[in-house]
Amino acid sequence: MLEGTLVDLVPFEDDFAIYLETWMNEEAWFRAHVWERREPHTEDDVKKYIENMEKNERGGLIGFQAKNGDPIGALIFDHEWTRVRKAEVRVVVGDSRYEGADEALDGLLMLVRYCFETRNLHRLDAVALPFHETWIEHLRRAGFVHEGTLRQHIRWDGDYVDLEMFGLLQSEWPGYVQKVAELSLQPSDIEPKPKPEKKEQKEAQPS
Amino acid sequence: MLCGVLVDLVPVSRQARELDHKWTNNESSFWASGGEWRFVTRAQIAARQARWAEERSRGDLSVGFEIRTKDGQPIGWMGINWLNPTHRLAMLGAKIGEPQYWGGGYGTDALLLIVEYAFDWLDVRKVWLATSTMNARVIRQMEKVGFTLEGRQRQATLAEGVWHDWLAYGMLREEWPGRETLVERLGLREKAVRRG
Repeated sequence: MLEGTLVDLVPFEDDFAIYLETWMNEEAWFRAHVWERREPHTEDDVKKYIENMEKNERGGLIGFQAKNGDPIGALIFDHEWTRVRKAEVRVVVGDSRYEGADEALDGLLMLVRYCFETRNLHRLDAVALPFHETWIEHLRRAGFVHEGTLRQHIRWDGDYVDLEMFGLLQSEWPGYVQKVAELSLQPSDIEPKPKPEKKEQKEAQPS
Repeated sequence: MLCGVLVDLVPVSRQARELDHKWTNNESSFWASGGEWRFVTRAQIAARQARWAEERSRGDLSVGFEIRTKDGQPIGWMGINWLNPTHRLAMLGAKIGEPQYWGGGYGTDALLLIVEYAFDWLDVRKVWLATSTMNARVIRQMEKVGFTLEGRQRQATLAEGVWHDWLAYGMLREEWPGRETLVERLGLREKAVRRG
């Protein structure tokens, strides 16, 4: 476990894997995966996605949870490019109550911390839909620089919308500790969700 | 198959596949990749070509052409590296593997053919591509053909110890004046006549 200020980073398993069956079919997932075709994800698709990320040598899927252990969502880095030491980052705020909350921002800061301070990457890329204001605000607060607008790039709900490009260099990152001190993060005191029903129990029930 | 003024885009021939070894190991790869030098054996090239063929047979949506001069010389690749039907985007990729054909309009002629193909046959809405700030020839080409610079990823590639930016260029279908107009405007026919 890697401990942050408002959230902790943990392996993506157990309750996270159960929640992902819901999260992967919700808005937060599709907003964070703009390239993908919006289609239903079955239980098998979700399992396969987690397995693929476990095998992914150029990326990773990390769970992030509130200090009380309540799972919030997924931190993803992918397409890590060894020669240039860059990767793409995205945050899926699976529990929508945390959308825009400082816990979600701390998730992003912890992902940046991990990429720069542990993996020694040189540069991080991120993209945002122009109307996903909470994510853009978090990217800016984390220090990401707006690097361009891919015009009419994404088909979204009947329109072709722009895609905003952001980047952050390792040399621009003051370090997690200093960054958190600048931002004075505030916990949102959201009540933890009830634990999800375990799969095995569900399957054991007579039909 | 797709007939231009200086070049045609044709199915990849055995001759071009054999040249792939040279094109992968020479400076054309350095420019196309934004600063990487490769040391790739013939066996690795064969394995890569087999992998691409297999991906295409499994329904991968990339499209690859050989660029062939009017006198029958294969000089490189032009294609769509990533065709996204949901967003109707075509990401283009190209390489002129024979440096003596750089700067003579060959790459531009091939680019006009692939853009026309993407808009008129594949019905995409937008073509786009990325290059690095070290590649002045491609940047000039983008400006001449009328692509818009949409984004600049700072320090996104390293060449000989120096960081360079990646530039993203795009052209929407309604911005495409048509191939014939650009052939005329860029004087490609005059270039072809001078080449004999």
